[in-house]
Amino acid sequence: MKKRVGVFVCDCGTNIASVVDTEKVAEAARKIPGVIFATTYKYMCSDPGQELIRNSIREHELEQVVIASCSPRMHEPTFRKAVEAGGINGYLFEMINIREQDSWVHRNRSQATGKAIDLVRMAVSKVLRNTPLQISSIPITKKALVIGGGIAGMQAALDIADAGYPVVLVEKEASIGGKMAQLDKTFPTMDCAA
Amino acid sequence: MVAVAQHPNIELITYAEVTAVNGYIGNFTVTIKKKAKYVDWDVCTGCGTCEEKCPTKKLKNEFDLGLGQRTAIHKLFPQAVPGKPYIDAENCLKLTKDKCGICEKICPTEAIRFNDRDEYITEEIGAIVIATGYDLFPWEKAYGEYGYGKYPDVITSLQFERLVSSGGPTGGKIKRPSDNKEPQSVAFIKCVGSRDDAKGKSYCSRACCMYTAKHAFQVKEKMPDSEAYVFYMDVRTAGKNYEEFYQRSVNAGARYIRGRVSKIYPRGDKLVLKSEDTLLGRPIEVEADLVVLATAMVPSEGAEELAKTIGFSTDKDGFYQEAHPKLQPVDTFAAGVYLAGCCQGPKDIPDTVAQASAAAVKVCGVFSKAELPTEPMVSEVNTEKCSGCGFCVPICPYKAISLEEIQERGHHGTITRKAARINSSLCQGCGACVPACRTQALNLKGYTDEQLVAEVDALCL
Repeated sequence: MKKRVGVFVCDCGTNIASVVDTEKVAEAARKIPGVIFATTYKYMCSDPGQELIRNSIREHELEQVVIASCSPRMHEPTFRKAVEAGGINGYLFEMINIREQDSWVHRNRSQATGKAIDLVRMAVSKVLRNTPLQISSIPITKKALVIGGGIAGMQAALDIADAGYPVVLVEKEASIGGKMAQLDKTFPTMDCAA
Repeated sequence: MVAVAQHPNIELITYAEVTAVNGYIGNFTVTIKKKAKYVDWDVCTGCGTCEEKCPTKKLKNEFDLGLGQRTAIHKLFPQAVPGKPYIDAENCLKLTKDKCGICEKICPTEAIRFNDRDEYITEEIGAIVIATGYDLFPWEKAYGEYGYGKYPDVITSLQFERLVSSGGPTGGKIKRPSDNKEPQSVAFIKCVGSRDDAKGKSYCSRACCMYTAKHAFQVKEKMPDSEAYVFYMDVRTAGKNYEEFYQRSVNAGARYIRGRVSKIYPRGDKLVLKSEDTLLGRPIEVEADLVVLATAMVPSEGAEELAKTIGFSTDKDGFYQEAHPKLQPVDTFAAGVYLAGCCQGPKDIPDTVAQASAAAVKVCGVFSKAELPTEPMVSEVNTEKCSGCGFCVPICPYKAISLEEIQERGHHGTITRKAARINSSLCQGCGACVPACRTQALNLKGYTDEQLVAEVDALCL
């Protein structure tokens, strides 16, 4: 595998850029061995941002991608798809968090920028050792178990059953109904619970 | 309830518990314990003759929360689904003392089975919805100032529901438990166990403000000459048409008093509530015939064990932990296991129903695919390095590692030894096994030792 890393640094509007000098991070990234392309963008997760990633992979024949932006919780899947759409395996990609773990928790601009550069160096070092991973698949038994026959369990069981799938509903008491069956009328409409 | 029983796609197993769950999303094997009912429900018609004739009639009716009585053989409640009776083995004369047996003699369909035993069955399951609900906070153990449960006319709101219910022990007439008199004044105390760090739980139980407004309204509706006092800390009515409902209760004559009741004690046949009206800034004393406590919701009994059986976590209060409080409110950390209702946290009926439908959609989403993609960042074993010590097996929170026999060619022919094996469908890629491995035979794909060391080197060298 060739070492052709692309680094994408996100401003996140002013969320990152107001504390981290993203241009400086990109500039430092270009000097890391293996990195052949680095850029910044206002919102990397936006459609034009993703297009920038896709096009850059093709244009610069990137083999690995590092994205410095937010927590991976929300946008790792977004960027993995974008990387795959650019034509490389989605696991030849590393995401680092320079928002929650940097710009949102630090005030000193030069130190925060230095931390972002450190994080980029770490990610580049790792991504160069990443290997393509393949998603496999497993079969599914299309039958659901619902544990508890109160209003929640009954509603879930009915919805799944109405969608056409078999459901086993297990209730510890001798009757379904749960607490709901013990109630009289219910707020705010005062209709009957049982 | 009837819609559930009649649905051709729903198999209803009541008086049963889930005792074991193995496997993973799409491929769970579930063991269900069907408790002995001592009645063959395939034969029983639910005619009720046995209940009429059972001589053990004065047992505390759990469904009415002790306010009514029941027989040893009984339906849980008249509209039970399935509408069949079962025998309470602890109190049945035949099962405890080998006497009586009347139900067996008079049953027209010969459905009684005194030799019934618990039965275990297994089911192959693709996805699980947990909806184990809540119990009420045991206030009797914590609130000495309200009498530790020794005053019969201090009851919980769920007991009050049974009193106002037409199917309840009083036929829907509000009568106080001690002497069956209609109360002239009813006092409601909110936040008993909720929002009370010292004696109860720190959280708000969320439904109490509204059901207490309903109860006060019902008092004024059923007994217009009676008083309804509501002692409150705050009135929380965030919900569609909720504030209007609360105002309706106030307009009907419910008297809201802002203050915590500090003591309840008897005076004659009445109960005296001492409190402070914090809006007026002065002490207040109210005489009531009946006191209703809006007790906190807590996770149902056995919730913790079920979480351990299935393999997901609970929060600090014992409610089931959702995968993300905003973005994944019905998912758990166990793939293919979803949450609905109060097992995840206190909520009212509209929210419960909404969450149940959401959980159902999650299940349907799993089932809508022909096959499930699996996350490739899972652990892998280098069997050449693995010594077969088995240290990793109990560490895995997802039961994904097993020790299996492998065969290797050595100098003196084939040798058989043990080595760890990862079930990549069960493995969630948490990495807990990797540092436990003494021979460094385990690695997490995408986070190998080599990759992590390279990161550290980049920072430090």
